[in-house]
Amino acid sequence: MSRPLLKPLLVLAFACLAAMVLSVGTGSVSVSPGQVLAVLLGEGSNLQQTLVLELRLPRTLSAFATGGLLAVAGALMQVLLRNPLADPYVLGLSGGAAVGALLAMLAGLGGLLVSGSAFAGALLSTLMVFGLAHGTGSWTPSRLLLTGVVVAAGWGAVITLMLAVSPAQRLPGMLYWLMGDVSYARSPWPALGLLFLVCLLVVPLGRSLNVLARGPMQAAALGVSVRPLEWMIYILASLLTATAVTMAGSIGFVGLVVPHMLRLVLGNDQRLILPACALAGGALLVLADTLARVVIAPEQLPVGVITALLGVPTFLYLLYRSR
Amino acid sequence: MLMFSSRLTVAVVITTALLGWQRPAQADSVCATDDTGAKICLDQPANRIAALSPGATELVWAAGAGDKVVAVVSYSDYPEAAKDVVSVGSHTRMDLERLIELQPDLVIGWVTGNPPEQLEAIRDLGLPVFSIEPRTFEAVSHTIERLATLAGTEDAGFAEAERFRQGIAEVSRQYQNAEPVPVFYQVWDQPLMTVNNEHLIGKVITLCGGVNVFGELERLVPRISAEAVIGANPEAILAGGMGEENRHWLTRWEEFPGIEATARSNLYFIPPSLVQRPTPRMLEGSRLFCEKLDTARGKR
Repeated sequence: MSRPLLKPLLVLAFACLAAMVLSVGTGSVSVSPGQVLAVLLGEGSNLQQTLVLELRLPRTLSAFATGGLLAVAGALMQVLLRNPLADPYVLGLSGGAAVGALLAMLAGLGGLLVSGSAFAGALLSTLMVFGLAHGTGSWTPSRLLLTGVVVAAGWGAVITLMLAVSPAQRLPGMLYWLMGDVSYARSPWPALGLLFLVCLLVVPLGRSLNVLARGPMQAAALGVSVRPLEWMIYILASLLTATAVTMAGSIGFVGLVVPHMLRLVLGNDQRLILPACALAGGALLVLADTLARVVIAPEQLPVGVITALLGVPTFLYLLYRSR
Repeated sequence: MLMFSSRLTVAVVITTALLGWQRPAQADSVCATDDTGAKICLDQPANRIAALSPGATELVWAAGAGDKVVAVVSYSDYPEAAKDVVSVGSHTRMDLERLIELQPDLVIGWVTGNPPEQLEAIRDLGLPVFSIEPRTFEAVSHTIERLATLAGTEDAGFAEAERFRQGIAEVSRQYQNAEPVPVFYQVWDQPLMTVNNEHLIGKVITLCGGVNVFGELERLVPRISAEAVIGANPEAILAGGMGEENRHWLTRWEEFPGIEATARSNLYFIPPSLVQRPTPRMLEGSRLFCEKLDTARGKR
């Protein structure tokens, strides 16, 4: 990677590290930075070890992975659909995942089964949109977008129906899931691995993506095989989103705004934007989750609320300043 | 001889080792089965209890172990002393950090109220979770007894459980031959919600010789329409409320003089804290409930 591309990434990586250090060092129980360091080196009291190693660190890494996945998925969707309003959920994937998760919760299941059910719902929704958009006629991004939006509306109706008929005591859990909450996350490693792999896979394709972002005609004229590339983006973005939603419910806003923010600052070069999205999305969610844990502790906020509250003014400011 | 003696020594050593190994655990260890069917055993009676629902807090106090409670959740407002205990957030989303910091040796979960994945996380951290969900009067007593066993406060706990059991039995005897009264119990106003016969409040209605007009509905806490209430034509309407206030909840029925309950002015308020938690306070709530239905009978 060339030098001018490397510098912003290094800055973002440093910001990520800072966000993580802050997140691991902050909580409703105070653990000093020195004590955190001691725990990471294998010392510290039992209580501190449990707090840092079993509660905070996995949660921070999960938040990072989720935010990164969503931001990369959002950036890919925006390239694929050539629509600035596209986000990872625009094609109904989060709706499918939500129906899966809520069904599991209604059945009184917890933990792994809710995640599994959410993942199944996300895949089902992806296949449905994929199949329907393909249909019998020609395939275009606008057809994919319309199919996805309508399927999403359908899922929305099912979700409302489920909320309306659910027993009152199950509602809070369901609402938290719908608002997005990292405390559902279990092991962060599969998601982190996926994020890393996808970044490795996508960066070499950056040039083709750059051309595609300008329009399929131009891309085809320049020798990019458009259709396979578009399908690949769709499948990758869906996989990323499904993994993120499975970990932490449908956290809004990160996937929509992080790519736009980075484009406003760094320009629209996918070779830079995609890895930058992974870092910036991760950092944003780590910060947001830290706030969600401590703002009104011991009460816990869903992180989706914080991402929007943080992201909206930042984005509006950048938009206002640009040009 | 030498061989015999060495064998004996070995046997003695092994036996002592086994006894020595087992004795401390056996002497003090306490076990109880929770409402999910899980058997919870503690090496010694619990000394630091975290109660993850307002109802659990009351029950632990009833079991005589109130002074061992180190963590509660929001709205744990009874008894008065519970208000001074550290809160670990709402029962729907707990602050696990704070919970761990308080180092409880027993966590009382709520089967349908606490998020299952959080209870699982607490178990994964190595804390014993005893999940409760009393659905009958007997279950209230039984829960108090089990909590008393786990906390090593059997004397106080079993006495309180028995007091509640006897009290309910007495109310039951008093009203078992009472004239039936068709009753509508309003749990919530918007949306309008009631309870079926499976609900503990539904059981209070039956206990008092009332007939729950929505008792046969399938859901525990059904949402119903005002029309359905008018159609069911209850002879008495009893309502809980938000906090201890509910002026509007009952006045809405005054517009419908066609309802028997309105025509006879049988619109009564029951403080929700006395019947809506499965705790010994239900005895007081039940007595009040039964008195209201008796007043309604007197207006015939």
